[in-house]
Amino acid sequence: MAMQTKERPVPNGVVLEMTGDLTYANREQFKAAVEAIRQKGCRHLILNMAEVRFVDSSGLGLLALVSQNFKLSQGKVSMLKPQSYVREIMSLANIQKLIPVYDNEQDAVAGQQRAA
Amino acid sequence: MSSTPIEHTAQVAQQTVLVVDDEPTARVALAARLTRLGYRVIQAGDGKAGLEALRRERPDLTILDWMMPELDGPAFCERVRQDPELMTSQILMMTSHDQPEQIAEGLARGADDFLSKAASKYEITARVQAGMRAATLIRRLEDVTEEIRRKQEVLERELQSAARYVESLLPTQGTLLPGVQMVHAYRPSLGLGGDLFNVVPWSDDVLGLYLLDASGHGVSSALRSASFSTFLRREGLLHHVGSNDPGAILTEANKQFPLTEDGNYFTIIFARLNVLERRLSFATAGHNGAFLHRRSGEVCWLARPNLPLGFDGSTTYVTEDLPVEPGDRLYLLSDGLYEVPGVSGELWGQERLEQTVRTFGSCPLNDVVSGTLAEAVRWQGHEQFPDDVALMGIEVGLRVSHE
Repeated sequence: MAMQTKERPVPNGVVLEMTGDLTYANREQFKAAVEAIRQKGCRHLILNMAEVRFVDSSGLGLLALVSQNFKLSQGKVSMLKPQSYVREIMSLANIQKLIPVYDNEQDAVAGQQRAA
Repeated sequence: MSSTPIEHTAQVAQQTVLVVDDEPTARVALAARLTRLGYRVIQAGDGKAGLEALRRERPDLTILDWMMPELDGPAFCERVRQDPELMTSQILMMTSHDQPEQIAEGLARGADDFLSKAASKYEITARVQAGMRAATLIRRLEDVTEEIRRKQEVLERELQSAARYVESLLPTQGTLLPGVQMVHAYRPSLGLGGDLFNVVPWSDDVLGLYLLDASGHGVSSALRSASFSTFLRREGLLHHVGSNDPGAILTEANKQFPLTEDGNYFTIIFARLNVLERRLSFATAGHNGAFLHRRSGEVCWLARPNLPLGFDGSTTYVTEDLPVEPGDRLYLLSDGLYEVPGVSGELWGQERLEQTVRTFGSCPLNDVVSGTLAEAVRWQGHEQFPDDVALMGIEVGLRVSHE
């Protein structure tokens, strides 16, 4: 399934609404969307995964890459509401160590404010 | 290519028109007109001779009379369209009475265009040129297709040679240490795999075993895997890590192999088997395909929630120890073995894999490895796995003493 992304500003960050699968086939689209946000100077990227059904091994690598790239520009990445299957893949690879997972947007946004 | 003084004429002169008409006067007149326009012209007096000329000369364009004895125009066209070698020939059909139904029939039976016998000299010129344009495009398409096919062949040969190299890196099956047997199966998805496993002989009583999975498929992941496997040789480990401790090895590998710019990475399990101390030590990085099947029947998965290599350079990977007894079997495998979708889309999964291995019980290791693979194939309903599949089984036998 193809991926659609839409960005929405929140205090001190940007929420990227994602729909579709985060997979090898959609990697360029995801990378381009995220890189555009990073280059605008965003310090906190919140990936809304509520509408993402599937993440494959390439998708996992992209999440790690995005997290590293944001760290390099003094930013951070959070994840919002991953579905249970995606959540399981994330926890098997311990991704929450790199990308904190939140169940609601206020907490995700506040996570940044506490850190600041 | 040699250059010619009058380029335009030269180009036209290379193009050949075949005129097929049983009526000599009309045929000769048309041939003369085409010759004046600069084309090379071949003539045939009936359909049969026309087909022979078409096959022999492969003209750019054939101008064909409808009414001919024996093989008429439409029948000629049908023959051409059924012949794989001739089917792309451009055919312009001539007719004296051009009713719409007749034109439709001619086109349906394989003509590309029509020319009325009453057509003006200008119309003839224009239709022949249009036919030549189409013929040129088709030729170019055929040439390009042929070139792609040839290049594809070269690439496939290269891939096969690379695949043979990767397979040459795989360990030899059989006795690893006195009493320790190993059997494996390897099915790369694209001929060239990113999954790799091996044995690292360390001493008379100790050996290392690993299975790694490079994310992505094909050439680049196979290259990265091959480079990683060099790091994991005994000399590489002594040089870079200075020990055979699984956790220390993965901690160092995590620094040596960062994420690629495309976000590619490795998952791995590295295990160390000490037969003297009857101890299995292991560390994992994002790899969930490993379990110990004890002689007692107990199955113990070695999966731990750990970051894959390259995700965070500061990660420390920790070694865990497990006691092993003679008859225990260790299985290292790629996730491609159990993440195979069945007909309904449901994945085969770790539980079914575990159940399959349990059912085999203490059958010979060889049968368990091949039987487990066969069961995954049965689940998905075909032989071709969507991802690389590797399975290595190691049995700890009864200790043979050194004395």
